[in-house]
Amino acid sequence: MSDVVEVSFTVNGVARSVSVEPRKTLADVLREDLGLTGTHLGCEHGVCGACTVLVNGSSARSCLMLGVQAHGAEITTIEGLSVDGELNTLQQAMWESHGFQCGFCTPGFLMQITALLAEEPNPTEAQVREVLSGNLCRCTGYQTIVEGALRAAASARSATATVRGSDLAPKEPA
Amino acid sequence: MAQVMAQRFTGTPVKRAEDPRILTGRGRYVDDVTFPGMVHAAFVRSPLAHARVVSVDTSAAKAAPGVLAVYTGPEMEALIEPGPYGMAAMMNIWPPAHSLLATDKVRLVGDLVALVVAETRYLAEDAAELVEVEYDPLPAVMTAAQALDPESPLIFEDLGSNVLAGPKVTTYGDVDRVFARADRVVRATISQHRHQNVPMETRGAVVDYRKDSGEVEIWSANQGVALVATVLSARLGIPREKVRARAADVGGSFGLKIGAQREEVAIAAASRDLGRPVKWIEDRHEHLMAAGHAREETLEVEAAVTNDGDILGLKVGIVVDAGAYPGLGGMVTNIIEGMVPGPYKIDALSFSSTSVVTNKATYVAYRGPWAAETFVRERLVDLVARELGKDPLEIRRRNLARREDNRQMVTGRSLAGITAYESLEEVLGRIDLPAFRARQETARNEGRYLGFGVATYIEPAPGTRANGPLGAEQMRMELAEDGTVLVYTAQMPHGQSHETTLAQVVADNMGVPFEGVRILYGDSAVSPPGLTGGSRSATMAGGAALTTARLLRDKVLDVAAHLLEASRDDLRIENGSVLVAGVPARAMTLAEVVGALRQPGRLPEDVDTELKVENVYDGGTGGWSGGTHCAIVEVDLETGLVRIERYLVVEDCGEVINPAIVDGQIRGGVAQGIGAVLLERSAYDAEGNYLSSTFMDYLLPTSMEIPSIEVVHLEPVPLDPVVNFRGVGEGGMICTPAAVCNAIEDALAPFGVRVLEQHLPPARILELVGVIEPE
Repeated sequence: MSDVVEVSFTVNGVARSVSVEPRKTLADVLREDLGLTGTHLGCEHGVCGACTVLVNGSSARSCLMLGVQAHGAEITTIEGLSVDGELNTLQQAMWESHGFQCGFCTPGFLMQITALLAEEPNPTEAQVREVLSGNLCRCTGYQTIVEGALRAAASARSATATVRGSDLAPKEPA
Repeated sequence: MAQVMAQRFTGTPVKRAEDPRILTGRGRYVDDVTFPGMVHAAFVRSPLAHARVVSVDTSAAKAAPGVLAVYTGPEMEALIEPGPYGMAAMMNIWPPAHSLLATDKVRLVGDLVALVVAETRYLAEDAAELVEVEYDPLPAVMTAAQALDPESPLIFEDLGSNVLAGPKVTTYGDVDRVFARADRVVRATISQHRHQNVPMETRGAVVDYRKDSGEVEIWSANQGVALVATVLSARLGIPREKVRARAADVGGSFGLKIGAQREEVAIAAASRDLGRPVKWIEDRHEHLMAAGHAREETLEVEAAVTNDGDILGLKVGIVVDAGAYPGLGGMVTNIIEGMVPGPYKIDALSFSSTSVVTNKATYVAYRGPWAAETFVRERLVDLVARELGKDPLEIRRRNLARREDNRQMVTGRSLAGITAYESLEEVLGRIDLPAFRARQETARNEGRYLGFGVATYIEPAPGTRANGPLGAEQMRMELAEDGTVLVYTAQMPHGQSHETTLAQVVADNMGVPFEGVRILYGDSAVSPPGLTGGSRSATMAGGAALTTARLLRDKVLDVAAHLLEASRDDLRIENGSVLVAGVPARAMTLAEVVGALRQPGRLPEDVDTELKVENVYDGGTGGWSGGTHCAIVEVDLETGLVRIERYLVVEDCGEVINPAIVDGQIRGGVAQGIGAVLLERSAYDAEGNYLSSTFMDYLLPTSMEIPSIEVVHLEPVPLDPVVNFRGVGEGGMICTPAAVCNAIEDALAPFGVRVLEQHLPPARILELVGVIEPE
């Protein structure tokens, strides 16, 4: 058997160390060594995007990356999106938009949209469609996923507005 | 007369019950299932389309690190009982006889030659590369014409030819008379190309054979666990009761994942042989190459028409390229034959069909497997219009049957309740066609080519009662201790959202909250036998849910009448509680009802206190789904690219359970239809090498190619006194290729183009208009 290498990284905010073969993909490390099966493999050649995760905040195809290449990185997977067990803004928006059907492509879309909205909180439909053109879905025809992304952006904006509004309100004495 | 229920959920876009787990990465797809001590399988597959297997040397592979076993064809045959797999098993197609792994020959690129089992998938794939196979190549039979040539080599010796089914000729009505009466006969040869389902999750299974009990548990990606268990039991030669087939989340299928397939039986045999759980997850290369292909058909059609535009009769001859192993290819012609007249007043049909075997991937069911009937008919209507110099819409208006005609299709199916004509009118009410024609004319003068196309179809979803007996749908329902309604369905959802739609129907008809219903499926030990497919679930499972919930409600009310000492007629169930009319204080929750039944002596002995119902729903009157699709396209003659400017669906699927889910089904089907026309093709070269085994070669539509799709629902025509939900899974895919091709032909009308094929990628568009020379 091949030698194994010790790899350390942060996954969904938690420091993790695993001993893996150098040839093992990041996707397989996440799924098999860390039990994070929310990341899916749809093609294993970097086209379908189902395996997309965030590596240091940027979207990456975990099927095209080796686990050892992620040493020292901050990784976010679909399991890291919800906050205190509650769906986050994007997940809520997708639920309301009936974004997905079979759900297999879902992790990749959610991570890709997360990366998009971090960079561009106010995307146009054309921008969303272009960014999502690297993720394949066979069930939906994409329309509800695009709607969900735009809904998430709108709802994040209105949440921000609410926070700003309350910031201006007089503070109750402690 | 059915009791009218207070409806709070049915008909509304209730958010999906599936989504909280899907959106958080907590789904359980087959590759997420693990067993202690599990090992991994990889297959050695044929690089040749047709060859004799001379020898298989597994010694190096067996000696490789982590390898537990390597099985050749003869070794595998010793572990199993010969017989059909997958869909061929469902239809009991045997002969042609064949082995699981190749014993004597291989019949397609990707055919199974050997199985390697190792500690990890990486090690299994390493070892698979070490298996040495010597082949003696045979000429490959790569086209239907080659298959029909008696000089071609036989793919299955026991068939005696390469013809799997037919030739079969059937006539309906007086074909000779209508052709004699016709002013002219419009002829065309129209083909559908080979393309494929491509669910985002490939096939796969985990099998755990327990030596102690002789029981086997299989988790697989499938459309129905019962058939998985049946096939596995037959091929392993063990009793059906000892096989437990399971599935949780399934990442799409569209007709592909039926029963236990060869690979799944092979790993089950290996699990029994090794005493270890074995997992196989197909990779995308294997999937595109060998999981199965669909839709390779050529149809020669003749339409007897009058100069006024009446279509009197059709002659249709179809040849299906069924690929290498038995699947749907030998049977699909029967459905195409029954459906080809569609919603039209066609009085005579002659239909001849032949299915042939070739050295290509097996023909499988793909969303609306019989869709050739709609494609060829809706293309033909436009071709008739062009030949007569008339508007295709006028030809449709003249020839579509109206509901008040009370017609049957000439093939015998009742057309009761169809709304095809209304759907066409609704489309035309939403498109300003004169304005489009003016814009088209202006654009043409600028060298831009716009086109408008429509297509109309109906789909037996499930079809009217007059079509013959339908398979019935079983369902069980019971009240859990906490008052939750447990629903055991025969459906095996793989994207259809049954956990939501069936819960909506049950909640309304039982009188409980949506969250008070749990839909349970995917376990052959407890799930009633059945299958999700054929656009049946809305009527069959929806109808079973409605009728079974009412039976359970009645049982609860019988019991509650005693517990509450009230007249049964004064009771109703609302929001999970039994209420007494006029006495709000005397309400009982369903949990309290269940609890009371556990107390001895609370009820007279003759009262049935089992709050469980087993029911069989027969489909009632049934009915058609259908509609009209409209595409407006622009064809770029520099690039050959087709852009879809607008896509409108006017649809009738009866009473809608959840409009968001229904629209999602339609849009997904339309996207697959657009992909089929503009992008997708399962391509082989003349030697049988498969050319489309990656997503760089087999192009799926992306968010850039699929436009926003408008969906409009017609007011349903109730046929049944109780259940008028109708299926909607397949229609989008059935109708789209014709609508898009009709629009493209309209766009290219200035060039006299006739579209006689379904696949129109940029290169073919440029060939059709003469920008580039055909290959």
